[in-house]
Amino acid sequence: MNRKNFLSSLLTLGAAMPALAAKTRAPFPLITPPYLKPGDTIGITCPAGNITLKEIQPAVQLIESWGFRIRVGDTVGKKDAIFGGTDEERAADLQKMINDPGLAAILCARGGYGVVHIIDRLDFVGLIQHPKWIIGFSDITVLLCHIHTNFNMASVHSKMCNSFPDDWSKAEPVQAKSILSIRQALAGERMEYAAVPNVQNRAGLAEGVLVGGNLKTIETLAGTPSDIDTAGKILFVEDTGEYLYSVDRMFWHLERTGKLGRLAGLVVGGFKVKPDDPGEEFVRTVVDIVTERVKPYSYPVCFDFPVGHQKENYALKYGIPHILDTRDGLARLSEKSVTLAPLP
Amino acid sequence: MKIPPYLRPGDTIAIVCPAGYMNPERAVTCIETLKAWGYRVRIGRTLGGPSDNYFSGTDEERLADLQEVLDDPGVSAVLCGRGGYGLTRIIDRIDFSKFVKAPKWIAGFSDITILHTHIWSNYKIVTLHSPMAGAFNDGDADDVYVQSLRKALAGAEAKYACGPHPFNRVGVGTGRLVGGNLSLIAHLAGTVSDIRTKGKILFLEDVGEYRYNIDRMLHQLKRSGKLDRLEGLVIGGFTDSKDTTRPFGATVEEIILDVVREYDYPVCFGFPVSHDRENYALKIGVEHTLGISPEKVTLEE
Repeated sequence: MNRKNFLSSLLTLGAAMPALAAKTRAPFPLITPPYLKPGDTIGITCPAGNITLKEIQPAVQLIESWGFRIRVGDTVGKKDAIFGGTDEERAADLQKMINDPGLAAILCARGGYGVVHIIDRLDFVGLIQHPKWIIGFSDITVLLCHIHTNFNMASVHSKMCNSFPDDWSKAEPVQAKSILSIRQALAGERMEYAAVPNVQNRAGLAEGVLVGGNLKTIETLAGTPSDIDTAGKILFVEDTGEYLYSVDRMFWHLERTGKLGRLAGLVVGGFKVKPDDPGEEFVRTVVDIVTERVKPYSYPVCFDFPVGHQKENYALKYGIPHILDTRDGLARLSEKSVTLAPLP
Repeated sequence: MKIPPYLRPGDTIAIVCPAGYMNPERAVTCIETLKAWGYRVRIGRTLGGPSDNYFSGTDEERLADLQEVLDDPGVSAVLCGRGGYGLTRIIDRIDFSKFVKAPKWIAGFSDITILHTHIWSNYKIVTLHSPMAGAFNDGDADDVYVQSLRKALAGAEAKYACGPHPFNRVGVGTGRLVGGNLSLIAHLAGTVSDIRTKGKILFLEDVGEYRYNIDRMLHQLKRSGKLDRLEGLVIGGFTDSKDTTRPFGATVEEIILDVVREYDYPVCFGFPVSHDRENYALKIGVEHTLGISPEKVTLEE
């Protein structure tokens, strides 16, 4: 059996037994796509919400100034209600990029909503044959979780085209730093991030593969073939626009689905909560909610990490081993120095 | 499957609030009505009480109150005062051992979906998805929906009907009835309380959700294999559904029909199960027949 057929048979096996997917695929070695070199091409596509060609120009110009080429996908400028084209169009555009050996990375133009409509129609054989970085966050959490769980492929959790400022010279320092971190991650630099130490952090030192993303999206993947297994890993979560009671319910969901009990560490990013309705005051803060849920465990916990729907949102290498250090007032997340070789 | 003993005059119904806080004044009419129906009423400590926040009491207080009425052989039914949010915080600490030996009716909806789904999935004991204490107010205690709770507790078999809906998919299906609040069913995915829908009639309702989120939750149900082998799908109210600033571009009915388009079981819309007044008592776990014709919809035990 040649490699292609072998991979296809594994993929078919997984598709037939989604419940077993995570377990049967666990021994898959980590696939780190080749890091980008000057002249490499990044595709821009809209698997979820829509965006215009004009709106992606700041991102296109900046990324080209980094020495990469850009290929604009067919879905940029398409619009079907809130989506960047119909399900068929979005799936086709992403599929074309997945299959294209000439692309080194696929940058999702924006989040919004829509990846779950197309995820089960995508054929990832091309991605394994030609590994490439998939970049995005928010609704793109679906893709990042899916390729981590099913293929153990690393990706980049970061800002997308809609977060690039129109005038780069007027970008706020943290915004500029966040966007530049995408370049660093893609170029293969070892990533290291410092959060502002929070007295409510739980001190400790942890090592594990970094997984996570948008908390609500992670919750809605439960029970599906894209669900993540967090045992032994460093989990990061962020969210926006949720009520505090809903944040509490989602942390309970993590707990009740076994996603908190065996973590190596927990990284809590930005949580922009919706104000309580009058008479429905939840009283607890996000820090209270998390602290209460992780009380039975002893792993390190870091709050206010710069990841989320905010200006300061650094590129994180998803699926890659990291070290979380919250000892002695530190709050540092760094990529483990030993880099695993990419697939030939 | 076990059906708890139906109620006889003189039996006791306990009212507790295992989730959100309820102003006790909102339960007065309910208490008076239950007494007028010939039952004794026992009021749990979590109805009213000293709580000054979202919940009707601390987790420990809500758990203790619910545990006490579940275990008490003198209580024949537990009617939840209201939903809100809170059961997920205590469900894994409830001891169902006495309840399993001596089942009793548990009635309510919304957040109470967690109790219904957990109990059916784990113990195969029938519970009642029904109006709660607040539904008795504003002169509604005599309406058919509150009366359906009375009839269900007394042992009457459900024979519900409602009008046609232009989006209905005609057909007949027979299976055990499961379901409840869509947000909570989605939230239970992957937990020990998760719902099993194979060969069942599934009913869903929700309140105050964005259309994109309704779509996302339905795709979660679909992707987790909960929509492909149904006997029928009953859609209740999606009360006060909201749309994003950029319109989602599909109504709730269109979203649902699109998600189930490759299946051929009957689907009805606008069934009276909702956060509105229209909310029939439904026995979860009991076999029902769903009949959908161009003229009407029937759901009967």
